[in-house]
Amino acid sequence: MAPDVAGIERLEDHEIAVDPPAIEAEFRRIWRDTSGGEDASSIRLRVLNFVAFAHERADIERFERVVRLLPQRHPCRAILALAGPEQETLRAAIAVLCWRPAAGAAHICAEEVRLFGGAGEQQEVASAVLGLLVPELPVVVWLMDRPELGGRMSGELIDTADRLIFDSAGQADGVGTFDRVLRAGQRWELALSDLAWGRLASWRALIAQFFDGEGVKQLSQIQSIEIASGGGSLSSEALLLAGWLVSRLGLSLADLNTSAERIEATLYDRTRGVTLTVARDDDAGAAPLREVRIRTSEATLGVEVHAESAHMHVREQWDDAPARRTVASLPGDDASVIAMALDDYADPAIYAEALGSALALLASPVAGS
Amino acid sequence: MTTSTLNPLRAGLRLPRTPDACALVVFGATGDLTARKLVPALYNLARERLLPGGFSVVGFARRGWSDEQFRAAMKDAVAKFSREPLQDDIWESFARSLHYVSSDFGDMPGYERLGERLKKEDSAHGAGGNRLFYLATPPTAYAEIAHHLGEANLSRSPSGGWARLVVEKPFGRDLESAKKLDQSLGLVFRERQIYRIDHYLGKETVQNILVFRFGNGIFEPIWNRRYVNDVQVSVAETVGVEGRGGYYEESGALRDMVQNHLMQVLALVAMEPVASLHGDGVRDEKAKVFRAMLPVGDVGRATVRAQYRAGAILGQQVPGYREEDGVSPASEIETYVALKLMIENWRWADVPFYLRVGKRLPKRATEVVITFKKPPLQLFREMGGDNIDPAANLLVLRIQPDEGISLRFGAKVPGTRSDVRPVNMDFRYGSSFGVEPPEAYERLLLDAMLGDSTLFTRWDSVEASWELLTPVLDAWLQGASPLRFYDAGTWGPDEARRLVEQDGREWHRM
Repeated sequence: MAPDVAGIERLEDHEIAVDPPAIEAEFRRIWRDTSGGEDASSIRLRVLNFVAFAHERADIERFERVVRLLPQRHPCRAILALAGPEQETLRAAIAVLCWRPAAGAAHICAEEVRLFGGAGEQQEVASAVLGLLVPELPVVVWLMDRPELGGRMSGELIDTADRLIFDSAGQADGVGTFDRVLRAGQRWELALSDLAWGRLASWRALIAQFFDGEGVKQLSQIQSIEIASGGGSLSSEALLLAGWLVSRLGLSLADLNTSAERIEATLYDRTRGVTLTVARDDDAGAAPLREVRIRTSEATLGVEVHAESAHMHVREQWDDAPARRTVASLPGDDASVIAMALDDYADPAIYAEALGSALALLASPVAGS
Repeated sequence: MTTSTLNPLRAGLRLPRTPDACALVVFGATGDLTARKLVPALYNLARERLLPGGFSVVGFARRGWSDEQFRAAMKDAVAKFSREPLQDDIWESFARSLHYVSSDFGDMPGYERLGERLKKEDSAHGAGGNRLFYLATPPTAYAEIAHHLGEANLSRSPSGGWARLVVEKPFGRDLESAKKLDQSLGLVFRERQIYRIDHYLGKETVQNILVFRFGNGIFEPIWNRRYVNDVQVSVAETVGVEGRGGYYEESGALRDMVQNHLMQVLALVAMEPVASLHGDGVRDEKAKVFRAMLPVGDVGRATVRAQYRAGAILGQQVPGYREEDGVSPASEIETYVALKLMIENWRWADVPFYLRVGKRLPKRATEVVITFKKPPLQLFREMGGDNIDPAANLLVLRIQPDEGISLRFGAKVPGTRSDVRPVNMDFRYGSSFGVEPPEAYERLLLDAMLGDSTLFTRWDSVEASWELLTPVLDAWLQGASPLRFYDAGTWGPDEARRLVEQDGREWHRM
């Protein structure tokens, strides 16, 4: 999905009482009005409930960016529940978002509800969300800031949710975040979608490609793995990618040296040793990952992202024959990654195993802490 | 053993594997199909990380182009026809894999040069001797190209890899010519190496027929003669012959559309469930459908052929077929066909399958319509009201445009009476998923490289379909079902309407 919001119309954006029956009635009125006029070609589509929880006002804009794009791929009723110290009184607003999928096609419209409450009104906000869920449709909950599943507000929805979306990137405590997510997944048996993991989709596909077909023989020849991470410290994406490689390759940890900006590990598989380095790279800029390089006894294989175009360079060096190609990467904005996560019902065990291995790589005391 | 079980990094990824490194040789590389479909599809596959390292394309055609000229022409083609915009750095990377060999299709030294080029690709990019030969040429060149590929030892991979041949439709122009072509190809390639492409089968909505039928529990129990009244497969085009008058004069609607696209869609609608989508299951079941079809029999009564006259399409005057470039002023070629087929098996006995295809019809649409039988008792007739006889339930599978599915059923009109009005429940593919589906050629090229022949047509289906339709062509030649005429911009001749009305049915309004 290209992050393009041209052509999205926002209809009937106005405040309303925090009263789910009144909100439903207001939506019915809007649908009656929009489909009963001269242009009787508006279609309301909802294939899921998309509920976002946040605590900061700054998240409103982020939510709006997502709901301008997500419904084009997953038409939904989108609900933002914002309850934090900055909010004043309990209030609600609704809007309808419409677009034409093609010139001359009917308008497709999705619904949006925004609920705001003070820090002391989390329970009220959560109960209003429960009253606004469209029955019989999946419930996807996005924890926009902290992946805390047991809080007063989000906790009530966990039993209702079919999928929980969060972002392990940008959290203050990487170890704590990974640990909480791992435990929560086990406790609630929920499908988990970590946006940091979602942003690795292109990387994982391209790295796996090196070892397809005849290349599979190279797996047992791997000697070293180097991951260049962006960010102020090691990014969640870099750690998850390292964890993924360690877990999928069945490597065990022999030696570990960890600091805030670097992990050096010696791993082994039966009698073979593999060195793993995850290091912060100043050249990475804002990108969470800059490069992955895998050396085998016969080749050097690498994937690198271009800082400006975000295209990816794939390099293979066999003997004296270097080859390079450039491909597009999947978009990394919230809406695109969430949309992909909703398309993807792949084996969650792969993520859990990567998370477990990433935690193991973080296990030694952080230098200086 | 699949690659995913061998390559642990594939677990949990969407694609179980990418193709082996290979060289794709396009015969007819300067032609329309290459520029409009093949190279844009390959560019998009490369862009979306679906092609392996070590992939290359070798264009083969008469025109005396260099590699650079071929690349420049293909860049223009991608800029014009790709569904994703051309991006310079990705193009430059992709273009490095494009090469060109200039030769006549009958010129043996050209194939030797091709062999040398392929060897270079193998050593430079580790293509492993894997080759995919794509015949984007007129069908008259197929046998000659296959013969020379055999002579040049290119039909077998030199190093234990694979060699495959992709053949565009039409595969023959009747049973005899199809058999002859099959024999010619069979001298050089084994059946498992031959991929007969029918781009309809690469369309998402055609593939969705299988998902719809076998991925849901509610439809299959009523998908049979007990509940289905008739099935209609319709392909309506607003365009005429689009400058392809010469080609069309040799084919006509039956050869161009019915023998391949419509019959394949019909087979997907009528086939039995498969135990697995892997291997030959789908193709086996499709072949059984063709084998169960009754010969058309009374061709004069079961078929209608017609040709468009001048008329108006979407407010524009358009010429008649006989006024088109490359068309004989006395042409007897059909631009419209309607016919009735019967499948004599346990599921479909006595259910008519109506097929119709036409050019210069009022709108562009391809759809399959399943009409269900009416309930045994017209219950609401006794309860008053003006409109008390509910229309039959219809299930419409729209293949293009506005791909989707709709179900028509009767609902009570609000009020004190019991009027029943038909209403539609609509699912629109584009609205619900909001993503551009890949071009059919992207899927089919990828499948051919992966060695997945599920969406390609096997010889036994081609043969069975020609066995059914060749007698129709012969009967037409002998005067059965004389050529009718219809004005451009209308839904075809009256005789087509009568074809279904004589069975007490009517065409679905598109």
